[in-house]
Amino acid sequence: MSRREVSMPHGAGAAFIRRVAALAIVLGAALPIYLLLKQAVTPEIESFAWPPLWLPRRVTAAHLESVFTVVEFRAAIIRSIAVALVCGVSATVMGAMMGYAMARSRWGRRAGMTAVTATRLLPMTAVALPLALAFILIGLYDRPSAIGLALVHSALALPMTALVLFPAFLAIPLELEEAAFLDGASPLRIFMTIDLPLARAPLAAAFILSFILSWDEFGFALLLQVTNRTLPPLLYYYTVFGDVGAASALALLMMIPAICVLVALRTVLRGALMAGSLR
Amino acid sequence: MDRASRNLRILFVAVPGAFMAALMLAPAFEGLVLSFDRCGPSLGNYDVLFADPMFWRALANNLIIPAGSLALELAAGLLLALYLTARPKPSAVVEIAAVLPFAIPEIVLLTLARYLFMPRGYVNAALVEAGFHPLGWLLPNHALALLTVIIVDAWHVTPVVMLILMGGLQSIAPEIYEAAALDGAGTFATFRHITLPLLFPSIVAAVVLRGVDALRIFSTTLVLTGAEGVPVLSTYAYQQWTDAQQQRVAMAASVILALAITIIGLAAAGAMRRFGTAEAPR
Repeated sequence: MSRREVSMPHGAGAAFIRRVAALAIVLGAALPIYLLLKQAVTPEIESFAWPPLWLPRRVTAAHLESVFTVVEFRAAIIRSIAVALVCGVSATVMGAMMGYAMARSRWGRRAGMTAVTATRLLPMTAVALPLALAFILIGLYDRPSAIGLALVHSALALPMTALVLFPAFLAIPLELEEAAFLDGASPLRIFMTIDLPLARAPLAAAFILSFILSWDEFGFALLLQVTNRTLPPLLYYYTVFGDVGAASALALLMMIPAICVLVALRTVLRGALMAGSLR
Repeated sequence: MDRASRNLRILFVAVPGAFMAALMLAPAFEGLVLSFDRCGPSLGNYDVLFADPMFWRALANNLIIPAGSLALELAAGLLLALYLTARPKPSAVVEIAAVLPFAIPEIVLLTLARYLFMPRGYVNAALVEAGFHPLGWLLPNHALALLTVIIVDAWHVTPVVMLILMGGLQSIAPEIYEAAALDGAGTFATFRHITLPLLFPSIVAAVVLRGVDALRIFSTTLVLTGAEGVPVLSTYAYQQWTDAQQQRVAMAASVILALAITIIGLAAAGAMRRFGTAEAPR
């Protein structure tokens, strides 16, 4: 048995405290989500009751159905998925480029770190407001396809994917590249056929991370897609203007990717959250 | 290696670099220029800004909320990290539950927080059922609303602090604890003289990383209290942009915030270099 236990109190009292803590943490996460679920399946009138009801009296599927039948919702879902996919692909591709340059040269590392730090210091409005003006000029503002927003999300996610991929490329031994080099392969070919396949898992992680970053992103989406909304600003409007059932159903829908990743890929996610804290 | 691979690396830095410059740095620079323009070069936007009491409230809140939130998430994150790394290890369900507030989209968490804290929300319902008076958790211009924002903000990011500190805790060699136990150190003494000093670099890292992010607070106050309930600089800029139609003033406010973040961020980075890797202070 490890002596490390001494760092924590033990005995019957401590075991009890541990159990209470576990219960508090799980309830703290589960209770709010239960309430959201309850609001999503009860008629609107019950959600406005005072005092609020802790258990549903009547159950309806109307709100959950509306998420897929109301045109505005369906359009926002498709738009959010499209934007997140574009962001995932382009941020992963460009992040791989930058991460590789960072792993293979010192000045590349310096350039990469400077870019990462510089963009980290910029507040959202300092970029989004002038960008909105520029997008209006070049016709990327509030497009139904939200292509402008997808570009912004790619730029937001790029430092994160570069930071995730840089150590992965660093771990690939140079000898492998040198062997291919002696066989006459071009640098680009070496990168494509040796480095990229070896970094498959980190590349997948980078894609998932940037997909989720885009799926969750609220500020730029609010300012750049003022009528053709993605899910986060749509949820914001339904929350603020008091459509409880629809907002709750939307919120549940928005949690799906996170829950999938959380349950299926816990280890990936842990690294992901650490990197997410760096964005 | 040779010229060709050097050119490839230059290309690999240039393409993403140009992309980020076009979408982030160039607009930020454009905003800086426009903030000094009012039909010609002028400080007029800043005059308007500094004459607005709401701006000063936003600036004050923008410093108070991050400080409060940082203190709260550090305390909660440390407790959770100690709990989750202690043996016997808690089950995976507990760990998932602890990470959940950060894993779900921020806007979903804020929607939840609104339903919890609104006047006829679940928190007040619980208070009433327990025999207390309901509270105005989100009352505009009220200290309690400031506290609510701090609590919700800390709720969202505590898992990040927790994960950073868990990393630090797991890197402390078990031998050190064994030695302390042999010397007869109790639980508290071990924590005070071993865990805390060795964890110090991780704590500094968490403070720097989260501190800079906390200054950018936007959605928490916007969703919970609206742009004017508990103004911060980002929501102030947003409100100037949308409701007041004062685009240039909004940009000036953003410039002030960027400036504040840069100054505090550089100071924090300096502190990180000094304390982050050094031995812990006695």
